[in-house]
Amino acid sequence: MAGVSSGSAQYIYACTRLRVRKSLLIPREDYLRMLNMSLPEITRFIGETAYRSEIDELGTSFSGINLVEVALSWNLAKEYQSILELVPGDLKHFTASYLRRWDIQNVVTVLRGKMQKMQPGKIKEVLVPAGRLDRVVLDRLVAEESPERVAEALKGERFYPVIERELPGALETGSFAHLENELYKSYYARLIADAKEGVKGGDIFLKYIQLEIDIRNIQNLFRLRAGHVHEDVRELMIGGGSFTVDELQRLSGLESRDEFIDALKRQVKMVPLLNALEEIRGKTALHGIEVALTRVQLDQMERMSKRYAFSILPILVYLEKKKYEVANLRALARGKEAGLPGERLQGYLVM
Amino acid sequence: MVDVATTLEMVQASQAGMSAVGAGLAVGLTGVGTGLAEMGIGAAAVGATAENRDMFGLALLFTVIPETIVIFGLVVALLLLF
Repeated sequence: MAGVSSGSAQYIYACTRLRVRKSLLIPREDYLRMLNMSLPEITRFIGETAYRSEIDELGTSFSGINLVEVALSWNLAKEYQSILELVPGDLKHFTASYLRRWDIQNVVTVLRGKMQKMQPGKIKEVLVPAGRLDRVVLDRLVAEESPERVAEALKGERFYPVIERELPGALETGSFAHLENELYKSYYARLIADAKEGVKGGDIFLKYIQLEIDIRNIQNLFRLRAGHVHEDVRELMIGGGSFTVDELQRLSGLESRDEFIDALKRQVKMVPLLNALEEIRGKTALHGIEVALTRVQLDQMERMSKRYAFSILPILVYLEKKKYEVANLRALARGKEAGLPGERLQGYLVM
Repeated sequence: MVDVATTLEMVQASQAGMSAVGAGLAVGLTGVGTGLAEMGIGAAAVGATAENRDMFGLALLFTVIPETIVIFGLVVALLLLF
């Protein structure tokens, strides 16, 4: 009777709920329809979907693009927090680890805002309290006077040592890029440590983390090529994936683009990624490459979530897809605001 | 000397007892089987209904499908007893 315990029923319950939610996400046809709409039409359209309560609630305080932006952030945060509440035991542990990336995003946003002496209200508008640091904690951070005080208030958090180490340098140079890289690298290292802790289902979580790290590294390599950066990239790569950091450095040193793609293909075993890399050969626009790689990641995660039907993966698939839905809607709204034509915007959407 | 009538009675009684045990096992084990089968379906049904109330009727139907197993057990038990 192995595998039959009350635990499995909870897994089935949580995974089914998230599968239903995934089926309610905005489909491709609706994105295509929205490409031909104006901003007020898009606002009304999303006001009729899952975002209704946020659009109604914020409609009196915001308008235009700000309404869409804030409603999307609020909805994302609310959705993620509700998922954290409904997932059981071990799955909660992994989901919470995954959601810590929003803490990093929020903390870096607050630090940047404080550095540039932004109004607390303005900083608050762009925060997404979807991680462990909730609205109350973030409000307290936003109310602090200087970046140093913000860092001080974070004492005790997992990522505090990294902030303590990197913040003086960041303040001196005025750039938070290095601090941000280090925070994300420590985040991924921590995710791997969490997956290897011996909690049931950790091996499946690890598969997802490695896929995510690989795709992120490949995206970064393409970005660096587009920016003609050929120096030491070891600092910028995330360890723990199926490529070692030294291999990535060697790949980034290759001169011709075709050679680079061939070398990458020799190392990759995943068939969808091989196909995507072959397709990328003909593409030059960086956003097209990034979207193609993200698509591969989402498809591969979906495939894995069918293989491990009642594990952390169906939950992660929903969390990722929701993240991209919000990103797509934001891109659409921003693009329409800037008057970009629909065909151009389509290239930026992950559909 | 063994009384033949008494021995026959004992054999008949033991046969009746055995078929009663068989009937009990048929209902009991199929009941456990049904329970195990319904555990997963029930959890998924509650999950789906929590997200979308329109699923309730269909979810309930799926949940009770494994009841057929215990009905087979009941039929076998009744056949054994009567």
